[in-house]
Amino acid sequence: MPPHRTPEQNLLDELLAKTASGDQAAFAELYRLTSPRLYGVCVRMLRERGEAEEVLQEAWITVWHRASTFDRTKASAGTWLGTLFRNKAIDRLRQRREQLLDDPELMNHLEDEDPNPADGAEQTQEYLRLRECLDQLQPQQRRAIREAFFSGVTYNELAARCQVPLGTMKSWIRRSLLQLRTCLDL
Amino acid sequence: MNTPTDDSNSQLRYAEYVLGVLDADARAEVERDMASSEAVATAVALWQRRLLPLIAEAAPIEPPEYVWHRIRHQLALDASPAVARPADAGTARPRWWNALRFWQGLGLGASLLAAACLALLLSSHKPSVTPPSYLASTITQGNGQVGWTATVDLNHQRVVIVPTRPQAIARDRAPELWLIPEGQRPIAVGMIGGDAPVTLPLDRRLLASFGPGAALAVSVEPPGGSPTGQPTGPVIAKGLLDTSGAAIHVPLASPAHPLDT
Repeated sequence: MPPHRTPEQNLLDELLAKTASGDQAAFAELYRLTSPRLYGVCVRMLRERGEAEEVLQEAWITVWHRASTFDRTKASAGTWLGTLFRNKAIDRLRQRREQLLDDPELMNHLEDEDPNPADGAEQTQEYLRLRECLDQLQPQQRRAIREAFFSGVTYNELAARCQVPLGTMKSWIRRSLLQLRTCLDL
Repeated sequence: MNTPTDDSNSQLRYAEYVLGVLDADARAEVERDMASSEAVATAVALWQRRLLPLIAEAAPIEPPEYVWHRIRHQLALDASPAVARPADAGTARPRWWNALRFWQGLGLGASLLAAACLALLLSSHKPSVTPPSYLASTITQGNGQVGWTATVDLNHQRVVIVPTRPQAIARDRAPELWLIPEGQRPIAVGMIGGDAPVTLPLDRRLLASFGPGAALAVSVEPPGGSPTGQPTGPVIAKGLLDTSGAAIHVPLASPAHPLDT
Protein backbone atom coordinates (compact mmCIF):
# COMPACT_ATOMS: atom_id res chain seq x y z
CA MET A 1 0.00 0.00 0.00
CA PRO A 2 1.62 3.27 -1.06
CA PRO A 3 1.98 5.84 1.70
CA HIS A 4 0.22 9.16 1.49
CA ARG A 5 1.91 11.45 -1.01
CA THR A 6 1.88 15.21 -1.35
CA PRO A 7 0.52 16.88 -4.51
CA GLU A 8 4.13 17.57 -5.50
CA GLN A 9 5.07 13.92 -5.19
CA ASN A 10 1.97 12.94 -7.11
CA LEU A 11 2.94 15.28 -9.92
CA LEU A 12 6.35 13.62 -10.23
CA ASP A 13 4.71 10.18 -10.20
CA GLU A 14 2.39 11.35 -12.94
CA LEU A 15 5.21 12.76 -15.07
CA LEU A 16 7.26 9.60 -14.76
CA ALA A 17 4.27 7.44 -15.67
CA LYS A 18 3.63 9.62 -18.74
CA THR A 19 7.31 9.38 -19.67
CA ALA A 20 6.86 5.62 -19.75
CA SER A 21 4.27 6.04 -22.48
CA GLY A 22 6.65 8.16 -24.55
CA ASP A 23 5.33 11.59 -23.56
CA GLN A 24 8.23 13.90 -24.38
CA ALA A 25 6.69 16.95 -22.73
CA ALA A 26 6.30 15.03 -19.47
CA PHE A 27 9.89 13.84 -19.72
CA ALA A 28 11.12 17.39 -20.27
CA GLU A 29 9.10 18.66 -17.33
CA LEU A 30 10.36 15.85 -15.11
CA TYR A 31 13.89 16.75 -16.10
CA ARG A 32 13.32 20.41 -15.36
CA LEU A 33 11.85 19.75 -11.94
CA THR A 34 14.20 17.08 -10.65
CA SER A 35 17.56 17.57 -12.37
CA PRO A 36 19.00 20.16 -9.99
CA ARG A 37 18.55 17.85 -7.02
CA LEU A 38 19.77 14.77 -8.88
CA TYR A 39 22.74 16.64 -10.32
CA GLY A 40 23.51 17.90 -6.81
CA VAL A 41 23.59 14.29 -5.58
CA CYS A 42 25.89 13.24 -8.45
CA VAL A 43 28.27 16.16 -7.93
CA ARG A 44 28.44 15.44 -4.23
CA MET A 45 29.21 11.78 -4.83
CA LEU A 46 31.62 12.14 -7.75
CA ARG A 47 33.16 15.46 -6.68
CA GLU A 48 33.78 16.32 -10.28
CA ARG A 49 31.31 18.15 -12.44
CA GLY A 50 32.37 16.74 -15.79
CA GLU A 51 31.86 13.22 -14.58
CA ALA A 52 28.63 14.16 -12.81
CA GLU A 53 27.36 15.57 -16.11
CA GLU A 54 28.13 12.30 -17.85
CA VAL A 55 26.32 10.33 -15.18
CA LEU A 56 23.38 12.74 -15.33
CA GLN A 57 23.12 12.32 -19.09
CA GLU A 58 23.50 8.55 -18.98
CA ALA A 59 20.95 8.23 -16.19
CA TRP A 60 18.34 10.34 -17.99
CA ILE A 61 18.76 8.20 -21.10
CA THR A 62 18.06 5.20 -18.85
CA VAL A 63 15.02 6.95 -17.35
CA TRP A 64 13.56 7.39 -20.82
CA HIS A 65 14.09 3.73 -21.71
CA ARG A 66 13.15 2.19 -18.38
CA ALA A 67 10.37 4.46 -17.17
CA SER A 68 7.92 1.65 -17.92
CA THR A 69 9.36 -0.32 -14.99
CA PHE A 70 8.27 2.42 -12.59
CA ASP A 71 5.48 1.18 -10.32
CA ARG A 72 4.05 3.87 -8.12
CA THR A 73 2.59 1.33 -5.72
CA LYS A 74 6.15 0.25 -4.91
CA ALA A 75 8.06 3.52 -4.84
CA SER A 76 7.56 7.22 -5.38
CA ALA A 77 9.08 8.79 -8.48
CA GLY A 78 11.55 10.58 -6.22
CA THR A 79 12.76 7.32 -4.69
CA TRP A 80 12.85 5.63 -8.09
CA LEU A 81 14.87 8.42 -9.67
CA GLY A 82 17.11 8.88 -6.65
CA THR A 83 17.92 5.17 -6.64
CA LEU A 84 18.70 5.10 -10.35
CA PHE A 85 20.97 8.14 -10.23
CA ARG A 86 22.78 7.04 -7.07
CA ASN A 87 23.35 3.60 -8.56
CA LYS A 88 24.87 5.12 -11.70
CA ALA A 89 27.13 7.30 -9.59
CA ILE A 90 28.16 4.37 -7.37
CA ASP A 91 28.96 2.26 -10.45
CA ARG A 92 31.16 5.09 -11.68
CA LEU A 93 32.87 5.36 -8.30
CA ARG A 94 33.64 1.64 -8.23
CA GLN A 95 35.30 1.93 -11.62
CA ARG A 96 37.71 4.56 -10.38
CA ARG A 97 38.14 3.18 -6.87
CA GLU A 98 41.90 2.88 -6.98
CA GLN A 99 42.32 6.35 -8.32
CA LEU A 100 40.27 7.71 -5.42
CA LEU A 101 42.23 5.76 -2.85
CA ASP A 102 45.39 7.35 -4.18
CA ASP A 103 44.14 10.86 -3.67
CA PRO A 104 45.12 12.06 -0.19
CA GLU A 105 42.93 15.13 -0.46
CA LEU A 106 39.82 13.04 -0.94
CA MET A 107 40.90 10.55 1.69
CA ASN A 108 41.15 13.23 4.34
CA HIS A 109 37.78 14.58 3.60
CA LEU A 110 35.06 14.12 6.17
CA GLU A 111 31.51 15.34 5.97
CA ASP A 112 30.74 18.17 8.34
CA GLU A 113 28.70 17.41 11.39
CA ASP A 114 26.00 19.73 10.08
CA PRO A 115 25.25 18.18 6.72
CA ASN A 116 23.49 21.00 4.94
CA PRO A 117 20.07 20.09 6.35
CA ALA A 118 17.24 20.35 3.91
CA ASP A 119 15.47 23.66 4.22
CA GLY A 120 11.81 24.02 5.09
CA ALA A 121 10.65 23.79 1.51
CA GLU A 122 11.95 20.27 1.05
CA GLN A 123 10.80 18.56 4.16
CA THR A 124 8.65 15.73 3.04
CA GLN A 125 7.05 13.59 5.70
CA GLU A 126 9.43 10.77 4.84
CA TYR A 127 12.49 12.98 5.17
CA LEU A 128 11.38 14.43 8.51
CA ARG A 129 10.76 10.97 9.86
CA LEU A 130 14.16 9.76 8.68
CA ARG A 131 15.90 12.73 10.24
CA GLU A 132 14.11 12.13 13.50
CA CYS A 133 15.40 8.58 13.51
CA LEU A 134 18.90 9.64 12.48
CA ASP A 135 18.92 12.06 15.39
CA GLN A 136 18.50 9.14 17.76
CA LEU A 137 21.79 7.58 16.62
CA GLN A 138 25.13 8.27 18.28
CA PRO A 139 26.69 11.35 16.61
CA GLN A 140 29.61 9.37 15.16
CA GLN A 141 27.30 6.75 13.73
CA ARG A 142 24.92 9.34 12.36
CA ARG A 143 27.84 10.98 10.64
CA ALA A 144 29.05 7.67 9.23
CA ILE A 145 25.62 6.96 7.72
CA ARG A 146 25.48 10.37 6.05
CA GLU A 147 29.06 10.09 4.84
CA ALA A 148 28.30 6.65 3.40
CA PHE A 149 25.11 7.80 1.71
CA PHE A 150 26.61 10.90 0.11
CA SER A 151 30.04 9.56 -0.74
CA GLY A 152 28.92 6.17 -2.08
CA VAL A 153 32.28 4.68 -1.08
CA THR A 154 32.91 1.16 0.22
CA TYR A 155 33.34 0.13 3.86
CA ASN A 156 37.09 0.07 3.37
CA GLU A 157 37.33 3.58 2.15
CA LEU A 158 34.78 4.82 4.62
CA ALA A 159 36.85 3.40 7.47
CA ALA A 160 39.97 5.05 6.06
CA ARG A 161 38.21 8.39 5.71
CA CYS A 162 36.87 8.32 9.23
CA GLN A 163 40.16 6.91 10.53
CA VAL A 164 38.63 3.97 12.35
CA PRO A 165 39.28 0.22 11.93
CA LEU A 166 37.20 -1.52 9.28
CA GLY A 167 35.46 -3.67 11.90
CA THR A 168 34.42 -0.60 13.85
CA MET A 169 32.99 1.06 10.77
CA LYS A 170 31.05 -2.05 9.83
CA SER A 171 29.55 -2.40 13.26
CA TRP A 172 28.65 1.33 13.41
CA ILE A 173 26.89 1.16 10.08
CA ARG A 174 25.13 -2.14 10.69
CA ARG A 175 23.93 -1.19 14.13
CA SER A 176 22.72 2.14 12.76
CA LEU A 177 20.85 0.51 9.88
CA LEU A 178 19.04 -1.87 12.21
CA GLN A 179 18.24 0.96 14.59
CA LEU A 180 16.93 3.06 11.71
CA ARG A 181 14.72 0.25 10.54
CA THR A 182 13.25 -0.23 14.00
CA CYS A 183 12.65 3.48 14.35
CA LEU A 184 11.23 3.98 10.83
CA ASP A 185 8.96 0.96 10.86
CA LEU A 186 7.32 1.89 14.14
CA MET B 1 18.55 -19.30 -3.79
CA ASN B 2 19.60 -19.10 -0.19
CA THR B 3 18.20 -15.68 0.61
CA PRO B 4 15.42 -15.78 3.16
CA THR B 5 14.36 -12.17 3.47
CA ASP B 6 13.54 -12.41 7.16
CA ASP B 7 17.10 -13.36 7.87
CA SER B 8 18.70 -10.36 9.51
CA ASN B 9 22.02 -10.88 7.73
CA SER B 10 20.26 -10.69 4.39
CA GLN B 11 18.36 -7.64 5.56
CA LEU B 12 21.62 -5.98 6.46
CA ARG B 13 23.06 -6.88 3.10
CA TYR B 14 20.18 -5.16 1.32
CA ALA B 15 20.47 -2.12 3.57
CA GLU B 16 24.20 -1.94 2.89
CA TYR B 17 23.50 -2.23 -0.81
CA VAL B 18 21.08 0.68 -0.75
CA LEU B 19 23.35 2.77 1.44
CA GLY B 20 26.15 2.14 -1.07
CA VAL B 21 28.93 0.65 1.07
CA LEU B 22 29.33 -2.68 -0.74
CA ASP B 23 32.12 -3.27 -3.23
CA ALA B 24 31.42 -3.97 -6.89
CA ASP B 25 31.25 -7.76 -6.52
CA ALA B 26 28.90 -7.70 -3.55
CA ARG B 27 26.69 -5.16 -5.33
CA ALA B 28 26.49 -7.35 -8.40
CA GLU B 29 25.53 -10.29 -6.20
CA VAL B 30 22.63 -8.41 -4.61
CA GLU B 31 21.50 -7.24 -8.04
CA ARG B 32 21.50 -10.80 -9.32
CA ASP B 33 19.38 -11.88 -6.36
CA MET B 34 16.99 -8.99 -6.96
CA ALA B 35 16.54 -10.07 -10.56
CA SER B 36 15.81 -13.66 -9.65
CA SER B 37 13.78 -13.23 -6.48
CA GLU B 38 10.72 -11.04 -6.08
CA ALA B 39 11.12 -11.26 -2.31
CA VAL B 40 14.65 -9.88 -2.46
CA ALA B 41 13.57 -7.11 -4.84
CA THR B 42 10.80 -6.14 -2.44
CA ALA B 43 13.12 -6.17 0.56
CA VAL B 44 15.60 -3.92 -1.27
CA ALA B 45 12.79 -1.61 -2.38
CA LEU B 46 11.73 -1.27 1.23
CA TRP B 47 15.22 -0.10 2.18
CA GLN B 48 15.22 2.33 -0.71
CA ARG B 49 12.01 3.80 0.63
CA ARG B 50 13.54 4.09 4.07
CA LEU B 51 16.86 5.67 3.10
CA LEU B 52 16.34 7.58 -0.16
CA PRO B 53 14.52 10.53 1.45
CA LEU B 54 17.98 11.55 2.65
CA ILE B 55 18.73 12.97 -0.80
CA ALA B 56 16.69 15.99 0.34
CA GLU B 57 19.91 17.02 2.09
CA ALA B 58 21.93 17.29 -1.13
CA ALA B 59 22.14 20.90 -2.25
CA PRO B 60 20.53 21.31 -5.68
CA ILE B 61 22.85 22.44 -8.47
CA GLU B 62 21.63 23.60 -11.85
CA PRO B 63 23.09 21.31 -14.51
CA PRO B 64 24.59 23.09 -17.53
CA GLU B 65 22.11 23.72 -20.32
CA TYR B 66 24.00 21.55 -22.79
CA VAL B 67 23.35 18.38 -20.77
CA TRP B 68 19.67 18.59 -21.66
CA HIS B 69 20.54 19.28 -25.30
CA ARG B 70 22.73 16.19 -25.39
CA ILE B 71 20.04 14.02 -23.83
CA ARG B 72 17.52 15.30 -26.33
CA HIS B 73 19.84 14.67 -29.24
CA GLN B 74 20.86 11.24 -28.05
CA LEU B 75 17.23 10.18 -27.72
CA ALA B 76 16.31 11.92 -30.99
CA LEU B 77 13.49 13.77 -29.27
CA ASP B 78 11.50 16.44 -31.04
CA ALA B 79 13.31 19.73 -31.37
CA SER B 80 10.77 21.75 -29.42
CA PRO B 81 9.50 19.83 -26.40
CA ALA B 82 7.89 21.46 -23.42
CA VAL B 83 11.17 22.11 -21.68
CA ALA B 84 11.47 25.01 -24.08
CA ARG B 85 8.76 26.77 -22.13
CA PRO B 86 8.25 27.19 -18.43
CA ALA B 87 5.30 25.24 -17.10
CA ASP B 88 1.99 27.04 -17.00
CA ALA B 89 1.80 29.33 -14.04
CA GLY B 90 -0.91 27.17 -12.54
CA THR B 91 1.14 23.97 -12.51
CA ALA B 92 2.17 22.86 -9.09
CA ARG B 93 5.92 22.98 -8.71
CA PRO B 94 7.37 20.46 -6.31
CA ARG B 95 9.13 22.55 -3.75
CA TRP B 96 10.97 19.49 -2.56
CA TRP B 97 13.07 19.51 -5.67
CA ASN B 98 13.62 23.23 -5.45
CA ALA B 99 14.04 23.66 -9.17
CA LEU B 100 12.96 27.28 -9.31
CA ARG B 101 16.23 28.72 -10.49
CA PHE B 102 16.38 26.51 -13.54
CA TRP B 103 14.92 29.07 -15.88
CA GLN B 104 17.04 31.93 -14.65
CA GLY B 105 20.21 30.38 -16.03
CA LEU B 106 18.62 29.18 -19.18
CA GLY B 107 17.77 32.35 -21.10
CA LEU B 108 15.66 30.26 -23.36
CA GLY B 109 13.79 32.96 -25.23
CA ALA B 110 17.05 34.33 -26.57
CA SER B 111 18.33 30.86 -27.45
CA LEU B 112 15.24 30.02 -29.43
CA LEU B 113 15.48 33.30 -31.28
CA ALA B 114 19.11 32.63 -32.15
CA ALA B 115 18.24 29.14 -33.34
CA ALA B 116 15.50 30.55 -35.52
CA CYS B 117 17.91 33.09 -37.05
CA LEU B 118 20.46 30.40 -37.66
CA ALA B 119 17.86 28.22 -39.33
CA LEU B 120 17.15 31.09 -41.71
CA LEU B 121 20.83 31.64 -42.26
CA LEU B 122 21.40 28.01 -43.16
CA SER B 123 18.23 27.50 -45.12
CA SER B 124 19.92 28.44 -48.39
CA HIS B 125 22.26 25.47 -47.96
CA LYS B 126 19.79 22.85 -46.89
CA PRO B 127 16.17 23.87 -46.88
CA SER B 128 13.73 22.60 -44.27
CA VAL B 129 16.38 21.39 -41.86
CA THR B 130 16.37 22.97 -38.42
CA PRO B 131 19.90 22.68 -37.10
CA PRO B 132 20.40 21.46 -33.53
CA SER B 133 21.68 24.07 -31.12
CA TYR B 134 24.69 22.03 -30.13
CA LEU B 135 27.03 19.85 -32.14
CA ALA B 136 29.62 17.61 -30.61
CA SER B 137 32.70 15.94 -31.98
CA THR B 138 35.38 13.70 -30.63
CA ILE B 139 38.65 14.52 -32.32
CA THR B 140 40.61 11.31 -32.49
CA GLN B 141 44.34 10.87 -32.93
CA GLY B 142 46.07 8.42 -35.22
CA ASN B 143 46.47 5.93 -32.37
CA GLY B 144 42.70 5.82 -31.90
CA GLN B 145 42.76 7.82 -28.68
CA VAL B 146 40.52 10.82 -28.33
CA GLY B 147 42.69 13.92 -28.25
CA TRP B 148 40.07 16.63 -27.86
CA THR B 149 36.34 16.94 -27.54
CA ALA B 150 34.56 19.83 -29.20
CA THR B 151 31.14 21.20 -28.39
CA VAL B 152 29.83 23.70 -30.92
CA ASP B 153 27.30 26.10 -29.44
CA LEU B 154 25.47 27.40 -32.47
CA ASN B 155 23.31 29.76 -30.50
CA HIS B 156 26.24 31.56 -28.97
CA GLN B 157 28.39 31.14 -32.06
CA ARG B 158 31.35 29.54 -30.36
CA VAL B 159 33.10 26.24 -29.92
CA VAL B 160 34.54 24.88 -26.69
CA ILE B 161 37.41 22.51 -27.29
CA VAL B 162 38.81 20.46 -24.43
CA PRO B 163 41.91 18.23 -24.48
CA THR B 164 41.09 14.86 -22.91
CA ARG B 165 44.62 14.67 -21.56
CA PRO B 166 47.67 16.93 -21.85
CA GLN B 167 48.89 16.77 -25.43
CA ALA B 168 52.59 16.65 -26.15
CA ILE B 169 53.25 19.45 -28.65
CA ALA B 170 56.77 20.64 -29.52
CA ARG B 171 57.76 23.78 -27.62
CA ASP B 172 57.86 26.05 -30.64
CA ARG B 173 54.66 24.67 -32.14
CA ALA B 174 50.97 25.00 -31.30
CA PRO B 175 47.81 23.08 -32.20
CA GLU B 176 45.40 24.78 -34.58
CA LEU B 177 41.75 23.81 -35.11
CA TRP B 178 40.30 23.49 -38.62
CA LEU B 179 36.78 23.03 -39.91
CA ILE B 180 36.62 20.90 -43.05
CA PRO B 181 33.26 21.10 -44.86
CA GLU B 182 32.65 17.95 -46.87
CA GLY B 183 34.62 18.02 -50.12
CA GLN B 184 36.10 21.44 -49.37
CA ARG B 185 39.36 22.91 -48.16
CA PRO B 186 39.97 23.39 -44.43
CA ILE B 187 38.92 26.68 -42.85
CA ALA B 188 40.99 27.93 -39.90
CA VAL B 189 38.96 28.14 -36.66
CA GLY B 190 41.72 29.21 -34.29
CA MET B 191 44.56 28.19 -32.01
CA ILE B 192 43.66 25.74 -29.27
CA GLY B 193 45.26 24.42 -26.09
CA GLY B 194 47.29 21.27 -25.67
CA ASP B 195 46.50 21.11 -21.97
CA ALA B 196 43.61 23.50 -21.29
CA PRO B 197 40.11 24.11 -22.64
CA VAL B 198 39.73 26.95 -25.12
CA THR B 199 36.61 28.75 -26.32
CA LEU B 200 36.76 30.11 -29.88
CA PRO B 201 34.22 32.43 -31.52
CA LEU B 202 32.62 31.29 -34.77
CA ASP B 203 31.96 33.85 -37.46
CA ARG B 204 29.14 33.70 -39.96
CA ARG B 205 31.23 31.99 -42.60
CA LEU B 206 32.22 29.22 -40.22
CA LEU B 207 28.68 28.78 -38.94
CA ALA B 208 27.40 28.43 -42.48
CA SER B 209 29.95 25.68 -43.11
CA PHE B 210 28.70 23.26 -40.44
CA GLY B 211 26.87 21.20 -42.99
CA PRO B 212 26.43 17.42 -43.11
CA GLY B 213 29.74 15.60 -43.41
CA ALA B 214 31.76 18.41 -41.88
CA ALA B 215 34.80 17.44 -39.81
CA LEU B 216 37.11 19.08 -37.32
CA ALA B 217 40.85 18.56 -37.46
CA VAL B 218 43.89 19.62 -35.46
CA SER B 219 47.23 20.35 -37.08
CA VAL B 220 50.57 21.36 -35.60
CA GLU B 221 51.50 24.89 -36.64
CA PRO B 222 53.81 27.77 -35.70
CA PRO B 223 52.63 29.50 -32.50
CA GLY B 224 50.70 32.24 -34.30
CA GLY B 225 48.93 29.80 -36.58
CA SER B 226 49.48 28.62 -40.12
CA PRO B 227 51.01 31.40 -42.21
CA THR B 228 49.31 30.19 -45.39
CA GLY B 229 45.70 29.86 -44.27
CA GLN B 230 45.92 26.11 -44.87
CA PRO B 231 47.42 23.43 -42.60
CA THR B 232 51.21 23.41 -43.00
CA GLY B 233 52.12 20.93 -40.25
CA PRO B 234 50.96 17.36 -39.70
CA VAL B 235 47.29 16.75 -38.94
CA ILE B 236 47.40 14.97 -35.60
CA ALA B 237 43.70 14.45 -34.90
CA LYS B 238 40.43 14.48 -36.74
CA GLY B 239 36.74 13.92 -35.98
CA LEU B 240 33.42 14.09 -37.77
CA LEU B 241 30.83 16.56 -36.57
CA ASP B 242 27.42 15.10 -36.12
CA THR B 243 25.08 17.62 -37.66
CA SER B 244 22.06 15.37 -38.07
CA GLY B 245 20.75 16.18 -34.62
CA ALA B 246 19.39 12.67 -34.49
CA ALA B 247 22.14 10.80 -32.70
CA ILE B 248 24.83 13.16 -31.65
CA HIS B 249 28.14 11.61 -30.70
CA VAL B 250 28.66 12.04 -27.00
CA PRO B 251 32.18 13.09 -26.15
CA LEU B 252 34.03 10.57 -24.01
CA ALA B 253 35.00 13.32 -21.65
CA SER B 254 32.57 16.18 -21.70
CA PRO B 255 33.77 19.70 -21.10
CA ALA B 256 33.80 20.47 -17.41
CA HIS B 257 33.32 24.08 -18.28
CA PRO B 258 29.79 25.31 -18.80
CA LEU B 259 29.36 27.10 -22.06
CA ASP B 260 27.65 29.95 -20.30
CA THR B 261 30.00 32.01 -18.23
